[in-house]
Amino acid sequence: MTMTAQEVLERLQEVLGEAILSHEIREYTMGVKRKRTYGEVWLTIRPEALRKAVEAVFGIDYPHLHFITGNDEGGEVITVVYSFGLFYANPWGEVSVVIKFDLPKSNLVLPTITDLMIGAETNEREIREMLGIEFEGLKNKRHLFLPDDWPEGKYPWRRDEYGVEDMVKHTHRSVNEIRKERGEQ
Amino acid sequence: MAKTQYYVPVGPIHPALKEPIRVEAMVEGERIVEVDVKRGFAHRGIEYMGMKRNAIQTLYLSERICGICSISHPYAFVIGTEKALGIEAPPRAQYIRTIIGELERIHSHILWLGVVAHEMGFDSLLFWTWKGREKLLDILELITGNRINYSVFMIGGVRRDIKESHVKALRDMINYYRIFTEEMKDVFLSDPVYKARTRGVAQLSKKMALELNVVGPVARAAGIRMDVRQDMPYDAYADIGVRAIVPQDIVGEARGDAYDITMVRLYEIDQSLDIIEYCLDEMPEGKLMAIPNYVALLAKIRRTEGEAIGAHEAPRGEVIHYFRYGNKRDGPLFWKVIAPSYNNINTWKPLLLGAEVADIPIVVAYIDPCMCCNDRLAVVRNEEGRIIDPEALHRKAVEKTERLKRDLGVRE
Repeated sequence: MTMTAQEVLERLQEVLGEAILSHEIREYTMGVKRKRTYGEVWLTIRPEALRKAVEAVFGIDYPHLHFITGNDEGGEVITVVYSFGLFYANPWGEVSVVIKFDLPKSNLVLPTITDLMIGAETNEREIREMLGIEFEGLKNKRHLFLPDDWPEGKYPWRRDEYGVEDMVKHTHRSVNEIRKERGEQ
Repeated sequence: MAKTQYYVPVGPIHPALKEPIRVEAMVEGERIVEVDVKRGFAHRGIEYMGMKRNAIQTLYLSERICGICSISHPYAFVIGTEKALGIEAPPRAQYIRTIIGELERIHSHILWLGVVAHEMGFDSLLFWTWKGREKLLDILELITGNRINYSVFMIGGVRRDIKESHVKALRDMINYYRIFTEEMKDVFLSDPVYKARTRGVAQLSKKMALELNVVGPVARAAGIRMDVRQDMPYDAYADIGVRAIVPQDIVGEARGDAYDITMVRLYEIDQSLDIIEYCLDEMPEGKLMAIPNYVALLAKIRRTEGEAIGAHEAPRGEVIHYFRYGNKRDGPLFWKVIAPSYNNINTWKPLLLGAEVADIPIVVAYIDPCMCCNDRLAVVRNEEGRIIDPEALHRKAVEKTERLKRDLGVRE
């Protein structure tokens, strides 16, 4: 039982209602001699409705998580993107559901989705250490890519005062120079 | 007497691992009771580098993400960028892209078969499979000029043509691999030692595979018919109508162990040969690039606002690139790469618990891990022991390609 992108969007609109700020169906035509189209659903929602939206996606069918990522452009918000693939294993049938929202930097907390899909743990741990977004309910909070002795409060993907710009400035100087400045020798 | 638990670290530098990753296991006798995987030893921040370059530079940077899947990342990149720009590659370019993508799938699968045999201690199988793989690398070098980083893709097309003289060499190669694949099936699938060593090892149920979000041959071996070439087709795959290969089609049931993965990969080699044959038969004529002028291409990217997701079925699973263009920049404002092993490494922890220490290499190797391969440094010395400068290295590479053309009987 598969659904088209339009039907998926209608189902999500029923569940989420006012929480959807904007929605769009993008259709892409592929092929050379036998052209066909497949659709993707792109949603922008309110950040507090994330858990409800993810549960709605899981309610349609067990999805495949493409990725979770976030983008900081130095402003007041971090744009977070969740992408799910529904109805995979069907020729031309996969519908990508891309959920976007702006998370204010004053309240960087999101609900975890690892209780629904344990495979999302990798994504959440990466976002947590790279952007400083806290996931409520995430059990494993160790660093994934960064070393264990990474300084607290520094997030490589951030482009504000929490970023690593000042660390990058020191990369050309030797350890000895830095020690001399500090008077450690 | 209570058993003592011992701490056994494997990696990041270890003879059994080609790439830096650390598996920290607590063992009780021969059984693993606790396990922890650490990654990130080769994290180079390529995504951040790509956000500071223009799109064409980023395309060739994406090729350097990984050495073995060096076509997968550019493929996903061009698919996604073409979606964002709204351009379509010419038909001939789409077919050539498909051929090169499938050639790489074959060489990656044969490489994996050798690696997994090596991890079990079957070194003669490693040498035999890798010797058979050389013919394919020669063909790739004939078409593109390089063995590893082909640099043949371009946004809206390809940079190298498959000429009439190459077609004969390609058809010879297909015949060679038809026989070679049959021999490999014979050796791998009916060998009692290989069967005993892989049946029931690293067994993943369908439910677990779904929850762990695995992709590619690992998911297909667990019985999930999941393949980007089938679900969201592109290029020539859309004409062919590729079907995912699952063990149910071959032997009637999917167990999801290392043996099933071997089977899936071996049959995928056959499928790839069929696809290449179809593309050679049906190859359309025409130009190679939608926008041949790079300056015009970058100008078009500057005018583009929007985002897209590009996906490609790499040999190991789906590669996904997400970008955002805009702000009058000629490169991606934001770029995120998800490689297949990102999800597939999730399987190690549940699979290693309760397994034996001797199974660590198999469990680690069976997903064909690709830890965003290291940056490589090759120092080539000539006969007198001096280091060769880039020009001389380039000249040597051209000489070797010419010699290859003579060996393969190609005249242009």
